This record gives sequence, structure tokens and C-alpha cells, in this order.
Amino acid sequence: MTETFPLAEPIWCAGCGHFSVLSALDAAFDRLDVPRHEAMVLAGIGCSGTIQNHVTAYGYHALHGRVLPAAAGAKLANPSLTVIAAGGDGDGLAIGGGHLLHAFRTNPGITYIMMNNGTYGLTKGQASPSSQLGFHGATEGRAADPIMLGLSLPGTTFLARGYSGDAAQLATLTDAAIRHSQAGKGFAFLDVISPCVAYNDRYHNWRARLCDLDTVDGYDPRDRTAAFSLAAALEAEGKKPTGLVYEGEGLALEAALGAAPADANIDPAANMPAVRELMDSFRG
Amino acid sequence: MTASTERRIEDVNVIVSGQGGDGSLTVSTILADLLRQRGLNVYTERDVLSRIKGGVAVAGLRASRDVRFGRGDHVELVVSFDLEGIEKMVTQLAPDAVVVYDDSDVPMPAGLLPANVRLFAAPFARLAVRKLGRILYKNSIAVALATRSLGIADDDVRHGFEQRFNRLGPAILGQNLQALDLGFELAEEMGLSAGHDTVEQDGRPEGQLQITGNQAAALGFIAGGGRFFAGYPITPATEILESLEGWLPDFGGVVWQAEDELASVNMAIGAALAGVRAMTSTSGPGIALMQEGIGHAGSAEIPLVVVDCQRGGPSTGLPTKPEQSDLNMMAFGGNGDFPRIVLNPGDPGDCFELTVEALNLAERFQCPVYLALDQALSQNLATIAPFDLDAVTVDRGKRLSAEQLASMSEYRRYAFSDDGVSAYSVAGTPGGMSLVTGNERDEFGRVSTSPENRARMVEKRAQKIESARADLPRGRRTGDPGATLGLIGVGSAYGVLLEAMEELEAGGVSTRLLQPRTVFPVLDETLEFITSCERVYVVEHNATGQLAGIIAQGGGDTKRMRKVLRYDGLPLRPGDIAREIIERESL
Repeated sequence: MTETFPLAEPIWCAGCGHFSVLSALDAAFDRLDVPRHEAMVLAGIGCSGTIQNHVTAYGYHALHGRVLPAAAGAKLANPSLTVIAAGGDGDGLAIGGGHLLHAFRTNPGITYIMMNNGTYGLTKGQASPSSQLGFHGATEGRAADPIMLGLSLPGTTFLARGYSGDAAQLATLTDAAIRHSQAGKGFAFLDVISPCVAYNDRYHNWRARLCDLDTVDGYDPRDRTAAFSLAAALEAEGKKPTGLVYEGEGLALEAALGAAPADANIDPAANMPAVRELMDSFRG
Repeated sequence: MTASTERRIEDVNVIVSGQGGDGSLTVSTILADLLRQRGLNVYTERDVLSRIKGGVAVAGLRASRDVRFGRGDHVELVVSFDLEGIEKMVTQLAPDAVVVYDDSDVPMPAGLLPANVRLFAAPFARLAVRKLGRILYKNSIAVALATRSLGIADDDVRHGFEQRFNRLGPAILGQNLQALDLGFELAEEMGLSAGHDTVEQDGRPEGQLQITGNQAAALGFIAGGGRFFAGYPITPATEILESLEGWLPDFGGVVWQAEDELASVNMAIGAALAGVRAMTSTSGPGIALMQEGIGHAGSAEIPLVVVDCQRGGPSTGLPTKPEQSDLNMMAFGGNGDFPRIVLNPGDPGDCFELTVEALNLAERFQCPVYLALDQALSQNLATIAPFDLDAVTVDRGKRLSAEQLASMSEYRRYAFSDDGVSAYSVAGTPGGMSLVTGNERDEFGRVSTSPENRARMVEKRAQKIESARADLPRGRRTGDPGATLGLIGVGSAYGVLLEAMEELEAGGVSTRLLQPRTVFPVLDETLEFITSCERVYVVEHNATGQLAGIIAQGGGDTKRMRKVLRYDGLPLRPGDIAREIIERESL
């Protein structure tokens, strides 16, 4: 066995929610029998942007906010890969917010785990787009909810929310999200409430504010309207749903584009007859 | 243009001017087809405003016995549907030019045209409405006058119309043929009778391509094994995206119109990580947005090809006009020190070849490679020899297979090496799991701030460019090898300089030309060319002499270098360049 890179020691604080995300992800690859060389873990910038250093896979540290396009590019280039994008709420809702909209809309077959702690931890606690009202400077603008955003877009096919304090549920949701993408259904979005113990420690507060959808009688994750209604009603009470919020049918972008596995034969001998035909169409 | 019973066209420049979106530019297309069929080399130029309807739209067309990559200094025939078009062109008219003018709205003011210019004016638009019920047919009326003045036989024009309009149905073809006959009648009345002139030519070899630089680059991408392209629409780069959307799926590749340039460049980076040859294309403002991604590819050692179809800057600048003012951004842009290569094609054949080469260099040296085009090179249609497809090679550099990885006891993604290039494995390859990051990192890809490691990594990345030098594309040279006066130009300046050299020679000034095909890093051949001349004029399309500056920064002898600059949004013209050099040489 070739030794490639030794796994690094996490930089995270003791008690950081991100440990739960890491455990769920690493174990999911084994539970789902994903060969590690066929797995890519792409991460953004911030505390969450180090998760790839702790997983045996093809790891990539993207630019701030650009983890989604990089992940989509990899998946379109080689649809047989299991592609996981991970990043924080600043990465995915602020600097990279535009890409999230288009990932929902175009449905590439990647799994995106938002490690959502409501603050910029690595730069020591500034407000983020998902900070609760009143958090440090967050006196203007209410917290953005990526799940509500996803529900509002007709292209969305998978939305779930986990909580670092509930490892069992998080494992189930991580598996479900990866399975959704692997099955060719497209973009799986998993929002994980992952408290920052240093700058936004709200474990004590979150548990009471979360509503596990498994406990809601008759909840149907295929009913987008009902999902939105419930999420909006909960939001009015200062709460959020956890669990599988929505799962719809859709064709993954790579399938819609007919993307072939990587490395179509690019050998000139094989390639050139068709290139010549194309060039000949320019003869005057 | 003098009427004679038989005439051979050596070189004719035609301008068609109308309101954008009124169909008048199809006149240029029809004339181009007819002249091409007569065996002439055809070059067409667009000078449209950045809008779909309205505004003056001008199409330029040159038909010549010799291959030309630019419009000439004079215009022999103007077809204009408004006065503004004439006013814009009047200083460029050849002494014996022909002007075909639609005076439906404004009569030709006395004294506007020089004395020997022949004017054929009639209210084409009004005639079209009155006799054929649709203003659009004014264009076909004007074609008749233009072809009579060029000496193209009426039946050939009719045949050309049949080829062009047949697919639109018999009614539309019939109406256009009627309009054409109306035009021929007008021509008779004005003394432009048929049969006096015969245009025939044998200058153009059979089977030449009629292609733009953008199309050639797109074709080169496919030939060179490019299989992932992401782009965002922007003038004048959009045709690369559009061409590849049409072609690449048939080759098993993926083309994606992304939400912005940030996504485009990062998608290409992601595709490269998965081992697929990837490219994006854009123009100045998009290149500015991509700087972070390009620098990231340079740092993280990811193969990436970026086409910059330069246009007038700064900022949104002159979106539809040629300029070469992103050269500094390509050579020096981005934060931090990172290796990059800037290749500069001079014609569509070069666009094809250098795109193939860019793909190889990007993977061999795991760094960003720019292809610097400009609007004129990107969008103008030139006649050119077919590309040498047999010369295409694919070199994936130090890419590791699963078998190679299995035989290694250890694989370090960023291993130090003599040439600065580390072996790489791509996602999906068993045994090659690795960490790729734009942060400074150790050989394993783990983030590291160790000063010793940092310095070695900086030197390793820089070494890649030194290692690449020997294999970077060499320039093209032409002219009198004994001349002491040198010329340097890239992009659309290359073809214009070829013609300027003829004019300089005619003016008694002997020159030789270097078109550096690698602008950054500056190659020794460029420095040596300069020192082998007494003086070198660096001709470029920007206000500050960016190319001259890059060469100077790379060691060019500034005492010998002179700048010839244009930045008014108009294409470079051979006569302007020759005049300026002759003037400066005679001081």
C-alpha cells in the first residue's frame, strides 16, 4: 500500500461541532462502501475548511466560497466519483452564496455539507449571514436559512438538517445525502448546526430550538409546500426543523449533460478523424 | 475602381454600414461568399456596437490575392444605409472608391465625398417598401449595385441568392431575387452596366479554411484532448463557449455555461483535479474576476488553460473593440509569486496550435497557461491553410497511473525535484489519495508555515518555469535577415505588421519581424532579436506599451526599443504603422 498523506491533527477546539461532522462523514464512506480513491472531499476556507486533512480520500482545499463550483467541475468531469463539498456558513452563504443558488437550480450530483456555526470562527468571531439577530455586529439583517432558500427553488432535490449534538441522526442524514447524489438524483444539501464553542457556543440553546421531523406526525418530505409551511412556522417560533426536510425527484446535472466517465480517449490517433471532419466543415 | 472589360481583383476592401439589426450586414456576408467563390482570400471584420438593435453597425470585408490578416489602409467600396456610415469612412476612402448609398432619409450632402469617388445613390429603403412591401429588401437592392461595381456577373449573384435563401422558402427567395433585379435596373440607369468587368482569380489554393481565432482555439482544445470547458458569456470570447457547446459533447466532453467567471474558473480547476483537460475563456473583466482562481491554480499546482480574448479596457471599456491591454494582468496579475505561462497566437492557425500546446504545458508543468487573443484575432474571419492535425501530440507530464502508484512505497503530491515538477495523481486513481491546497504546504500537501519548507516550495514553483523555457513555443520570424530595424508584435498585430513591412520596404525601410509566441516568461530569443537590431519597434494595441514593458522587465534592451501604440478602439492598420515608423526613422 502506497503511503500518501498522514492524517493531520484537527485544529478545532475541544467540543467543536465539526468533530461530529468529520466522524459522520468518515464513517459514511465505510458504511456505504465508497472506495477511498473514488471519494473527493473538497472544503472551503475557515475552520471547516480543514476537514479534508482528516479523511483518507482525494482532498482539496478550495478558495473561499468556491467549493461548490470546484466540486461540480470534478463531478461533471468524472461522474463516477463520490464528491463531497464541505464548508462553513460564511463560505457558503456570504462569499459563495451565489453558487449555492445555482447548485440548487442545476442539481449537480454532489453532496454539500454546510458546517453551520453562525460565526466566522477562524477570524475570531465576526457575524456571519446565519448569525442569530443580536450576535455581535448582527444587529441588521436576520439570519439566512439555506434550507428555506433551497425549498424556494424548484430545482432542489434534497434538503436535510442535522445537529452536531445528535450523532445518530447526523450519521443517518449523511448517508442519505451521499446516497441521493450517488443514485444520480443530484445535489444533496445537508445543513449541520455545528456550534462554535469559542465564539458562538449555543449548545445549551439549540436543543430546545430544534424540531426533529421524525416526531412530526404525517410529515411528508416529498411535499415541498408543507415543508416550507412548517419551516416558516417553526422559524416564527425561533425554531428549525431537523431531519430529512425535503426529497424530490430530479435528474442530476451530469446525467442531463450526458457526461461520460473521465478520460474519454484523447489519444490523437483515436481523436483526429472526428477532429478532421470538424475542421473540414470550415473549408470555404 | 476603373471600369474595364476585364479586370482581376488584387485587393479590395469593402465596408457595409447600416443600423444594427436591420439586416444590412448580410450584404457583407453575401459579397464575401461571392468573392470567395472567385478564388480570393477573404478576411472579414466586425465593428458592431455592443447592442443587438440600433446603433451604427459596420462590417468590413477584404478580398485579396495574397493572404491578409487585417483590413487594408483604404476602402474601395462602401455600401451604406445611412449618412453616419459614410461620414465615418470618408477619410479612409481610396481615391477612386465607389460609394453605394441609400438616400431614403438624407440626401448626400454636396462636397462630402472627394471628387473622384463615384456615387451611386438611390432610396433603396423606400423602393423596397413601395415595390416589395418590406424594408428588409433594401439590402438585396444594394447588393446588385455592389456586385455590378465589383464586376461580378449578375447570374453568379442570382445563383448565390439561390444558395443562400433557398432554405427560407420559395417566397422569400423570390422576393429577394425581385429586389436584386430592381437593383440591376437601377444600376443600368446609373450607368453601371453588366458584363464589363469580370472578376476571376486563382490566388487561393483549394481547401483553405475560413475561420476565426475563437473557432480555431475551440478546435485546438478538442484536438488537444480538452474535455471540460466552463465559461460565461462575454464579448469577444463567447464564440469559444458556443462553438464548444456544439462540438464537445460529440467527443465525450462537457461544456457548461456557469453562473459567473468565478464559477467558470473554479469548475475548470475541479475538472482538472479529476484528471480532465480543462479550459475556460473570457475577456478583460472576466480575467480580472478570475485572478484569484488563476493564482490558486499556480499555487496549488493545478493544470489550467485560460483564454483571454482581450477587448478595449479599462473596466467594461470598449466591449466590441480590439485592444491588447490585459498583457500586464496576465503576466503579473494575482497575489503572490506563482508560475504562469502566457502564449500569444498571431493568426487562427496559431490559435489552433498554441491551444494544443497550452494543454500540454499546463499538465506538464501543473500551472496556469494563458492564451492571449484579442478581439480582431478572436472574431474576424480569415482564410488560412488547414491545421496540421498530424502534428498534434498529447503529453500528460508526470501523471501517475494506478500501477505506478502501487509500485511506490510513498507518494508525496508536492515532492521536491530537480525540475520543480512533482508527479501527480488524479481523483479516481487507486493509491493516489492526496491533499491539494493553495495554502503553503509540505510535500504531503499538509498546510505548513515552516520557513525552510516555505522557501523551498517558492523556489520549486519558480523552477518549473525555468524548466519549461526550453520547450516553450518559439516565435515566428520574417523579413530581411540583414535588416537592422526590427519589429515586434503579437496577436492581431502580427498580420498587420506583415503588411506594414511591405509598405515599409516600398518606402525604402527594410525590416525584420519577430512575433514572440511566448510573451511570458520572456524568452532569450526575444532578447537576442532585440540586441541583433539597432532599433526595434514594439507595435501594440494599448496606451502604455505593456508588451514592451514585459520584455524590458524580462531583460530587453530598452535603449533599442521603441513603442508604437494605438488605443483609440480602431484596429491596427498597416499604413498608419508604416507611416509612423518612416517618420520616426527619418528624424
